[in-house]
Amino acid sequence: MLATISKPRVLLPLLSLVVVVGGWELVGRSINPLLFAPPSVVAQQFAELLATGELQRAATITVQALFLGYALAVVAGIPFGIVMGAWERFGDILQPYLYAIFSTPRVVVVPLIIVWFGIGFEARLFLVFFWSAIAISVNTAQGVRHARPDLVEVARSYRANRVQMARHVLIPGAIPFVVAGLRIGAERAIVGVIIGEMFLQIVGLGGVIQKGSEELLPAKMLCAVVIIATLGTIIVTLLDTFEKRFQNWKGDAA
Amino acid sequence: MSARSRKDVRRDQLIGVAVFLVLWEVTARALDNPLTMPPISAILAALLDLILSGELFLALGQSIFLLIVGLIAATVIGFVFGALIARSQTAYWMLNPYFSALFVTPTIALVPLVLVWFGFGFPGRVIVVVLAAVVPILFSVASGLRDAPGDLIDVARSFGVKGEIPLLFTVRIRAALPVLMAGLRLAAGRGVVGMAVAETYLRLGGIGGLIKSYGAMFQTDYVFASILPLSLLGIGLVTLIARVERRLHWT
Amino acid sequence: MKDATVDVPAIELRGIRKTFALSDDENAQRVLALDGIDLSIRQGEFLTIIGPSGCGKTTLLRIIASLILPDDGEVMVEGETVREPGLKRAMVFQTFGLFPWKTVIDNVMFPLQVRNEPAETARETAMHHIRQVGLDRFVDAYPHQLSGGMQQRVGLARALSTGADILLMDEPFGAIDAQTRELMQEELMRIWQEEQKTVVFITHDLDEAVLLADRVLLMSRGPGRVRETIPVELPRPRFDYDVRGHEGFAKVRGHLWQALRNDLVEQRAEETS
Ligand SMILES: Nc1ncnc2c1ncn2[C@@H]1O[C@H](COP(=O)(O)OP(=O)(O)OP(=O)(O)O)[C@@H](O)[C@H]1O
Ligand SMILES: [Mg+2]
Repeated sequence: MLATISKPRVLLPLLSLVVVVGGWELVGRSINPLLFAPPSVVAQQFAELLATGELQRAATITVQALFLGYALAVVAGIPFGIVMGAWERFGDILQPYLYAIFSTPRVVVVPLIIVWFGIGFEARLFLVFFWSAIAISVNTAQGVRHARPDLVEVARSYRANRVQMARHVLIPGAIPFVVAGLRIGAERAIVGVIIGEMFLQIVGLGGVIQKGSEELLPAKMLCAVVIIATLGTIIVTLLDTFEKRFQNWKGDAA
Repeated sequence: MSARSRKDVRRDQLIGVAVFLVLWEVTARALDNPLTMPPISAILAALLDLILSGELFLALGQSIFLLIVGLIAATVIGFVFGALIARSQTAYWMLNPYFSALFVTPTIALVPLVLVWFGFGFPGRVIVVVLAAVVPILFSVASGLRDAPGDLIDVARSFGVKGEIPLLFTVRIRAALPVLMAGLRLAAGRGVVGMAVAETYLRLGGIGGLIKSYGAMFQTDYVFASILPLSLLGIGLVTLIARVERRLHWT
Repeated sequence: MKDATVDVPAIELRGIRKTFALSDDENAQRVLALDGIDLSIRQGEFLTIIGPSGCGKTTLLRIIASLILPDDGEVMVEGETVREPGLKRAMVFQTFGLFPWKTVIDNVMFPLQVRNEPAETARETAMHHIRQVGLDRFVDAYPHQLSGGMQQRVGLARALSTGADILLMDEPFGAIDAQTRELMQEELMRIWQEEQKTVVFITHDLDEAVLLADRVLLMSRGPGRVRETIPVELPRPRFDYDVRGHEGFAKVRGHLWQALRNDLVEQRAEETS
């Protein structure tokens, strides 16, 4: 039984990949290989970019800005979120602004970032950092506030003091929220780094896309897109797995 | 631990906004650098100008039209593929990886490709909105229809509802509505981003184009004045859907 | 239990009154939840409380635990007025109240940790009570890996580990299936007799109320008052014979049901008029 189910599972994505790649190759080749960039052309382009080292350099730049900005967001976002959650009044007052900033598409904030930070590394870093930090803070604050009242009562009934309450009830209860914030923040960070590279300083993988667009080379753009998608999938999958580990912690009463 | 009352929160937030606006105005006047920090009064004046000249409503109209068409298209596509993935293991294993990858790929990275392949007329822009918004809808349709309560389906069957399609419409969709609305809410948020991306990548009108052109002219007060309605549009839409969503939760 | 204190009631309530505000507003309307409850519970007594839904049973228990304070009146534990949670009382919660991020042993050790007991002795005490409720094989399991019945055993072990003389139990078996519940009742009886605890036990279940009790307290609804207390003088241990077939059981149960039923019928009449 197991074997009959698991076999197609491995084969189906492969099969569909073959169909998609093959179909694209056929159609792309017959219409306009340059414009529709069939897989063979993309592969060729990929090899070329690797040979010149352009792709490696671009990926390094992207990953550096991404990790630095994200690390800063984690380091700043969690403590800030704890303060927002514990000092409820402060959190309540700040919430609308964070929500408004978070809901504003970043591409339209680019003109403001240019006048504030220029178009250099700092500007790109800010794009990664700020929105990611907001996601992490807001979720952390929610976690701190979301303490289960029944467990708070349990701790109270056994005479836990404030420190013990934080250690045994509030902090463990907030962890699933923090982790969710880390995942959302990472998604935001990935988008942020690419926007910065396409609109501010034309470098990194976003820069490769932008240059490919100017040179009218879809194959080049696709190389960068594939790497970005892979990078994104790896990061988000890792954080997803991490998040699932804490799901039982959230489990509602009974 | 006691939750603060709604009234207290409202009052604090109102005071907060007032303090914030006054602080901004005072700081901006002291700095006297309208490029980086125009005073609130200048931003409001710019907003008024945009409203009176009709520029804002024209742009907003274009944007909303794009957004609505894009979201409708995303819903239709999301529904078809979501239902397929929910009802067929084969479809799931063949299609899901692409949509997962699409979900984590920043829409902005795909826009240049859309430009090359579809041009930047209305269809190209709609495609950008769809790319941004389709996955949350698709996933919510897939999970909503997959987790349809078996007991309700049995009830419907026992009352004579036969066949997959009637079951889909009588039970499955109704039971999945809250999940679908949550997906739609996410999609609306992402759709607004897609819309802005589509309108910003090339200067092509709409509210995104407006922001881009004022940015290029370094008129920061006008940039702020046109970002504001865009943010409100996004927040308003998401809030609206969240309202509907809350009403649908019968449990 | 020391002889010198045996005449002092374990718990004494004097004129307990409690109101709740209907909203956060300072001057919002208030509902009267409990109206002048007087009650004395003997040391070692097993008291069950039964009454229509919303009559204030949970409120009363939380007041006894000092989790909330009454508007008027006082709570005395072994002769002393109390105003905050104490070591002599331990609570068992209807929804178990287990920390999902702690294993069974860590959940049971929690009250001891809070008291800063040395880890070694805390562990020993916790193990003893985990064995007592028959969960030795699940020491390192997490709550979500346990059935409802097992989770409540952990809740019980945790309350026992405090060494408190008084167990306050709010519908502890309400969320547990009927057959497991009977087993748990039997176990609770055994532990109660072994450890000579005073138990205040809230329930919705008439059979359970009579089966366990030395005395059943019947509350009436809106505002919560003591309607009557009925002694249950069935021979113990009650699980050695068919206690439900005993004529004393039927008599008390019938009496309780009549009173409860009247209350409910009145309520229906009020609601529909
Ligand atoms: N924190 C609170 N705020 C406002 N009203 C409350 C609060 N706690 C209890 N009440 C009200 O007090 C009354 C008694 O509630 P309580 O929970 O004590 O009843 P109960 O007898 O335990 O009910 P049940 O049998 O359903 O558990 C109810 O009308 C309830 O709505
Ligand atoms: Mg209750």
